[in-house]
Amino acid sequence: MSSATKASRIGEELWKTRVDKVNAELVTLTYGTIVAQLCQDYDGNYQEVNKQLEKMGYNIGMRLIEDFLAKSNVGRCANFRETADMIAKVGFRIFLNIAPTVTNWTSDNNQFSLVFDENPLADFVELPDDGRAQDELWFSNILCGVLRGALEMVQMQIEAHFVSDVLRGDDTTEMRVSLVRYIEDEMPPDEE
Amino acid sequence: MTQPQPPRHAAMLSISNGGSSLAAAADKQQPPQHLHTQSQSSQGLRVPSNRKTIYDRHLNRSRNAELSRASFAFLFAEMVTYAQRRVTGIQDLEKRLNEQGYPLGLRLLDLLFYRTMSSSTSSSLSSSSTSSSPPNRPLRILPLLHLIHGPLWRLLFNRPADALEHSVSPETPNEYMITDNDPLVNTYISVPKEMNMLNCAAFVAGIIEGVCDGCGFEAKVTAHNQPTEMWPGRTIFLLRFGESVMEREKVLERAGVK
Amino acid sequence: MSVFSLIIINKAGGLVYQREFQPGLRKLSTNDYLVLAGTFHGVHAITRTITPKLPLTVTAPATTPTTASTPNVTSPSATSTPMPSSAAATSSATAAAAAAAAAAATTTHSFPNPGVPATGLETMETDKFRLTCFQTLTGTKFLLFTDPLMTNIDVIMKKIYELYADFVMKNPFYQLEMPVRCESFDRNLTGWLRGRA
Repeated sequence: MSSATKASRIGEELWKTRVDKVNAELVTLTYGTIVAQLCQDYDGNYQEVNKQLEKMGYNIGMRLIEDFLAKSNVGRCANFRETADMIAKVGFRIFLNIAPTVTNWTSDNNQFSLVFDENPLADFVELPDDGRAQDELWFSNILCGVLRGALEMVQMQIEAHFVSDVLRGDDTTEMRVSLVRYIEDEMPPDEE
Repeated sequence: MTQPQPPRHAAMLSISNGGSSLAAAADKQQPPQHLHTQSQSSQGLRVPSNRKTIYDRHLNRSRNAELSRASFAFLFAEMVTYAQRRVTGIQDLEKRLNEQGYPLGLRLLDLLFYRTMSSSTSSSLSSSSTSSSPPNRPLRILPLLHLIHGPLWRLLFNRPADALEHSVSPETPNEYMITDNDPLVNTYISVPKEMNMLNCAAFVAGIIEGVCDGCGFEAKVTAHNQPTEMWPGRTIFLLRFGESVMEREKVLERAGVK
Repeated sequence: MSVFSLIIINKAGGLVYQREFQPGLRKLSTNDYLVLAGTFHGVHAITRTITPKLPLTVTAPATTPTTASTPNVTSPSATSTPMPSSAAATSSATAAAAAAAAAAATTTHSFPNPGVPATGLETMETDKFRLTCFQTLTGTKFLLFTDPLMTNIDVIMKKIYELYADFVMKNPFYQLEMPVRCESFDRNLTGWLRGRA
């Protein structure tokens, strides 16, 4: 069984049996009000909004990883490909009830894309028609931060960014994820 | 009433998550461009070639959809953390949380009306507008409170609120209380002792305020801790209706409007 | 069967939580708990260090630090038992070896995570109590003091971890790595332990 199939099974089983649920619209609208607040606080400076969303996601990711590990009871991934499946098929399933497609691997296996068919965060969303938002704002940028924060806690430094979004008029919503390095010195011996 | 309006409406316009787009999506005959006629520089938004826009999806598609409670908790916690960095005190923090909830109230109101209407008269979907559906729109305070206590709470939290009371004091006939024994938004939150007056359900108070305002009932809504042995997180939402609302209430009562 | 007490140690070896549930052990001073946490943390690190590392494949080390490239591969990567499963005070070197072999067989062009430490000290026993350590993949340690005859400690540990993920991690007023002062964590933890006793 491929690691993707295995991960899908784990993810679906967890979603069915272990995940407490709430009304999806509560989550969607709450995320919407967060983004709207940022747009207001940063006076329509969408680059800054993207940055803040990523930062918020990072803070969330560092905490969310514990919930992921506690619920899923999965062990350490053997390689980055396995990590990608774990994120897409277990992580996204548990927290957003979706399973983006893992694709577009680079030959060194250090970079992949997540392609989203569904994005509950963006349900009901239309970007402001101000001639800029569709070029500058990455509405779901919080997800990039979540991945960065969560993976950093399990000793992986990654970089993630969106390359397309249906909200911008693109045909797909795609996030690019790159492994920067494995963080080795989790606990330097001379720093005690 | 007038004071808090400008920032709120600005917040609502900046991202159309719900709100006006919800109403537009209800009316599928209407081309999307119609929405933007008021904005001057509009060339219209780009849409995917497969036309996967909000107008092509049914409004009720997420009606029974579920997401993880943890996702909500993490988003909400981050909203609180972010707000905390930008405020000076507990009152200020509650005010900000209230303001973040407010637009949800307005949008959920549309959604509630749309759904109660479309379930009773589903055939008139494309021609009628949501606001011209008299049976759904409360005119008096009590039906409004029932709308909040029942349908709104069920939509948000999958259960009705736990109690609805009117102030017993003759001094404050404009005060009503809605009780939630265990607010979902506070499930995982422990407020530090030095901030023990704080109740993060101020966010929900903002939602209620949005619903009231959206119905034309100007009100201030606040969340207060009222713990009991059995319900340590018990919260009272205090609704204070404005004078104009109370005066209208009297007129309507004399006129026999229910 | 008694669960006497719980200690949580952060990644840096600091005591962030200590709570007693049932009498049975003598109380320690706050200072002693701090020393216990720090000492255990140190010993745990050493027990990991002495676990032999099994090289998998040797690839060229990274040349440019900012771009993703081949990391140095030195240690076994797939010790995939996050819960303490046995009472043995040894690390699971054999499991690690097996997993490493499996990983090596299937990952010709992927890189095992070299940052993964071998599992350290998992249990310690005296006549009067057993100390079980569960280290999460993020480096936090949960130390549970129980009756030495108690079984199914992994079930309790798992639940504690879940409660921690809920009532500590989802609390906006909790700062990571800092002492845990979350009233609802205490309440739910004691409530759950009382319920199963």
